[in-house]
Amino acid sequence: MTESLFYFLASLTLLCALMVVISRNPVHSVLFLIITFFTISGHYILLNAQFLAAVNIIVYAGAIMVLFLFVIMFLNMNKDSESRVKTSTLSKFAGTIAGGLLFVIMVAAVKDTTIAGYNADTFTSQTGMVETLGAVLFTQYLLPFELASVLFLVAMVGAVMLGKKEAGEQHF
Amino acid sequence: MTSIILLSIFGIINLFVGFMKSKRILLPLSLLFLAVVFGANLFSWNEAQSYFNHMLTIDNYAVAFTGIMVLATLLLLPFSQHYIEEANENLAEFYSLLLFSLVGAIMMVSYENMLMLFIGIEILSIAMYVLAGSDKRRLRSNEAALKYFLMGAFFTGVLLFGIVLIYGATGSFYLTDIAATAAVNDGTVNAMFTLGLLLLVIGISFKISAAPFHFWAPDVYEGTPTLFTSYMSTVVKIAGVAAFYKLMAAAFAASYAAWFPTLIAITVLTLVVGNIGAVVQTNFKRMLAYSSVSHAGYLLMALVAFNERSDASILFYSLSYALATIVAFAVLQYVSEQRNGDETYAAFNGLGKTNPLLAFAMTVAMCSLSGIPLTAGFFGKLFVFTAVVQDARLMWLVVVAVLMAAVGIYYYFKVVIAMYMQPAADAAKIRIGSFASFMLIFITVFTILLGIAPALVSDLL
Repeated sequence: MTESLFYFLASLTLLCALMVVISRNPVHSVLFLIITFFTISGHYILLNAQFLAAVNIIVYAGAIMVLFLFVIMFLNMNKDSESRVKTSTLSKFAGTIAGGLLFVIMVAAVKDTTIAGYNADTFTSQTGMVETLGAVLFTQYLLPFELASVLFLVAMVGAVMLGKKEAGEQHF
Repeated sequence: MTSIILLSIFGIINLFVGFMKSKRILLPLSLLFLAVVFGANLFSWNEAQSYFNHMLTIDNYAVAFTGIMVLATLLLLPFSQHYIEEANENLAEFYSLLLFSLVGAIMMVSYENMLMLFIGIEILSIAMYVLAGSDKRRLRSNEAALKYFLMGAFFTGVLLFGIVLIYGATGSFYLTDIAATAAVNDGTVNAMFTLGLLLLVIGISFKISAAPFHFWAPDVYEGTPTLFTSYMSTVVKIAGVAAFYKLMAAAFAASYAAWFPTLIAITVLTLVVGNIGAVVQTNFKRMLAYSSVSHAGYLLMALVAFNERSDASILFYSLSYALATIVAFAVLQYVSEQRNGDETYAAFNGLGKTNPLLAFAMTVAMCSLSGIPLTAGFFGKLFVFTAVVQDARLMWLVVVAVLMAAVGIYYYFKVVIAMYMQPAADAAKIRIGSFASFMLIFITVFTILLGIAPALVSDLL
């Protein structure tokens, strides 16, 4: 049951992720991206990581995707404006070959690798739970967790600084 | 650890001081903060200690590189005088972002865990994206910020993918655990490990603008306000190379055979592309961008050599390169302001007559960058080359590097020729503050001093 669910979710994820890239209409891309995030959350639940699944939906599918949609609607991107961006045949060709090569290497690497399994006797099913995650964050990973606040502070200061309107500022 | 805590607190204090009406106090205050951090950092010398479950280790390597990066920031801040004169509204934010980004830089030279490396790189990069676009009124600055951000975000993804694959292959983020797993599996655990290693190398090569991942550098360096370009090409590059060496030495020493061919290709390509690219430039700032690519090549040479001399030679080269680059960008900033934003070689015409001090400082900086004896740059190159020739098979790499250094002399001396041999188009003397001219003299004397007595720094590590 779990295995067939995994394969269903995995194929749906891949299909939707592919559609994000292929879709001509940016709004469709965003909608496909939302489905992708939901299916990835499904994977997290299969791995017994409920907290991560919830956060993924709230933050990515909720907040960030709404932002994406807003920006796309502000920019008013439609088929006409998209077709103005021209890519040369040569760069398309080069991109396809480079991307294809990377894909082949990735597949070969995964195929060559035997992933170590887990020991069913010592495995703790509570690993992905909120309590365990919190305990790890505030003990072992305390320093990176605290220093991430500097990262967010930098991003916040930067956003306020760039967003603030100044006298004599031009609009491009 | 003390320097990380101090810098975070000082950055926040700086933001609050920015609420005051007068912005004049910000520069002395920031310089004081940096001096305090520089002093506090020295207390950890010879007292290696790990913090927070081995998340980061402050050893002599970390202290030395932290010292150089704080010193570089300390030396380039005085050249922000024009922001104070024009009463820039965002001055406090600029200084705070520089202080915060130093936190990231220090994390990058002292990490023991891949998570710390990643957060360090991100703190440094995000501050740089913002500062690149800080001149909101100029289209070029906006372009630089957007370009740097998009490219940087993409390569951060590559780096992260590399870290994840390494984690998948070894089951740990700790450098020591990765090294232990690699050592018992003769360097290459499995294909996933090798692929992860390759992606890591690509990710960090982008951050230090090594070819073929350098394509963003000229546009970004040109568009960014000169003060922050100077920071970008010194502190960011030094932190990147130091993190690269630490990563390779602490985690992937056993996998030398796996990354050596890739890295030597990147090194040779960086040397050639950086130097040849710089020759054809007419814009001085763009030339400095290509020159910073080529210097990443020399720094990578020391990494490729990978022996007991590598870390000391990277340290000395970083310092000599930072000193010269700060002077070059500072003089460029004064000259281009006087000449209505002209950044070509022609802007320097006749500078030797109108401003002998600026011209002399620039000449010493150019000599140091091209590696002329009696300047720090000569010993920087010498130490790197001696580290490389330890391995007789790498003799050809030194030959390539010496040829490229000869090419370097050509484009560095273009500006010297313009300053002393061309007639001045605009005879007006460029006005510089007394503190800034003191700083220029200080850096120039320091460069020459290191060229006479390199042992002051070279024997540290």
